Amino acid sequence: MKKPQPALLVTWPEEGVRRIPFEVYSDPEVFKYEQEAIFRGPIWHFLGLEVQIPDPGCYVLAQVGETPVIVVRGDDGEVGAMVNRCSHKGTPLAFVPSGKVSRFMCIYHNWCFDLKGKMTAAAFERGVRGKGGMASTFNKQENGLQRLRVHTLHGLIFGTFSDETPSFADYVGADLIANIARVCGRKLRLLGQYSQAIPSNWKLYIENVKDPYHASILHAFNGVMKQDRLTMEGGIVMGSKGWSHISFSKMDFETGGEVYEEAEMRSAELNIYGFGLRDKSMTAVWDDFGDSVSMTIQTIFPNFVLQQLRNCLAVRTIVPIGTHESELRWIAFGFEDDDEAKTNGRLKQANMMGPAGLIAMEDGMIGGLVQRGIAGSLDKAAVVEMGGHGIEPIPGSRVSEGSVRGFWTGYRALMGL
Amino acid sequence: MGIVIHRITESQARQLISDYTYTIDDGSVSNWPTYFTDPCLYRITTRQNHEMVMPLSIMLCDNQAMLYDRVEAIEKANIFEPHYYRHVLSESKVVDKTDTTIHMETSFICVRTMLDGRVTLFATGRYSDQIVLEEGRCLFRSRVVILDSSKIDTLIAIPI
Repeated sequence: MKKPQPALLVTWPEEGVRRIPFEVYSDPEVFKYEQEAIFRGPIWHFLGLEVQIPDPGCYVLAQVGETPVIVVRGDDGEVGAMVNRCSHKGTPLAFVPSGKVSRFMCIYHNWCFDLKGKMTAAAFERGVRGKGGMASTFNKQENGLQRLRVHTLHGLIFGTFSDETPSFADYVGADLIANIARVCGRKLRLLGQYSQAIPSNWKLYIENVKDPYHASILHAFNGVMKQDRLTMEGGIVMGSKGWSHISFSKMDFETGGEVYEEAEMRSAELNIYGFGLRDKSMTAVWDDFGDSVSMTIQTIFPNFVLQQLRNCLAVRTIVPIGTHESELRWIAFGFEDDDEAKTNGRLKQANMMGPAGLIAMEDGMIGGLVQRGIAGSLDKAAVVEMGGHGIEPIPGSRVSEGSVRGFWTGYRALMGL
Repeated sequence: MGIVIHRITESQARQLISDYTYTIDDGSVSNWPTYFTDPCLYRITTRQNHEMVMPLSIMLCDNQAMLYDRVEAIEKANIFEPHYYRHVLSESKVVDKTDTTIHMETSFICVRTMLDGRVTLFATGRYSDQIVLEEGRCLFRSRVVILDSSKIDTLIAIPI
């Protein structure tokens, strides 16, 4: 049953995706319709890592938009996902974030479901001492849990509610598939997780991820570390229809970025920030994938990020909570074949990411600042024209908002705006 | 001349914990590294990662140079809305004690105040400290901050 789009949510400026009407960040009706048109619509949503659920019965909770989801490994070893909602009254079947179970039993009335979501039993189904029981119309087979279609790729688990979602390969495109294989191609080792309450609309966060224009400006630390200066060799690769993207840059691992950096700083006596790193353990990096690419930030529409910051590897999901609130969930990983030195290196480099991230810190608050700034101006629009009007990448350049315009191209298509 | 053995006392350790707290809450973050040995360990983690034996930290420094790098980043590179902390600590519990080291645990709550007046209960958790005496001074050889919640409000710029 597909409900029609509510009448005229927002009038998109005639300039197209080089203008973003501020209303889309703040309007409760827009937020509500996104849940249906995007999160329950034809998208692939990240659900977790296979390494989080190694054995049959292992589960982890996820959230697709507002909808709570259980991601579980079945007895046959296959990964499945279903809505975390008992088909009786709607109680969540699991409320501990991860665990291992043989079945899901609702605490409210003991309705039971197997690991595939099939209903197996209800308390007092046949009544008590032959009296009462479920109505003759009740059929367990019709009351299984609502399942999502699942696709796994190199240990990443994605799910979708819609039958109309294209295949994962068509949805993201070959270049993005190749980068997932590149970053996640070996057996992953979980290093830990945390999340951030982000005081803004979820789209302000994902736009920020897709915007390489800000990276060396807002994040002064980047410039200091030569982590991601826009003068570094790099570029942007677009996924299918421009909805998803990869931003990448290279460094000379042979000479060691920091050796070069030290030399340059000595010659300059002082760099513009007046300091360099005293400790070199964070810049003691290695070429993880043998291609000199030191940084890749990949998004998958609408809200997933796969991050390689030198040797600091992580996935992020920005979960919408309300018009002005979202939750950014991080999972850091390395590889099972990492030796102790590599694991320690990744853990030290993790100082760059997360809520206290030397690089990522500002990303947590910038969306909230924007949303404060646009209050009272919801009839106005953002001006997004760096790199032109289109979504085509500029070869060899990252000084572009093309990938931001790509996000809005997908958004408008699904929202009918 | 006989060898003088300086035994570390509980009251010295409690004083260190108290002094550290006022240094952070007074906004004197540049003095933060002076509370640690070299090498040392300062990390912020979450109860969830701690209990799942996951090694990821929110903040991790294992020597003086890293502590000073963090201070300089806070003071010169990172951009965030100015704010203050106010820590309130519990009585410390002595977990273990030798002549030279005290392992103490202390619960805390940390309230964050922004310049526009917003006051938030920012973090609760416990410190797990290894405190030693070095050249007559009491210092943290290790201070692990274990946050009760895995969800951080916006960002952590200033060490807890």
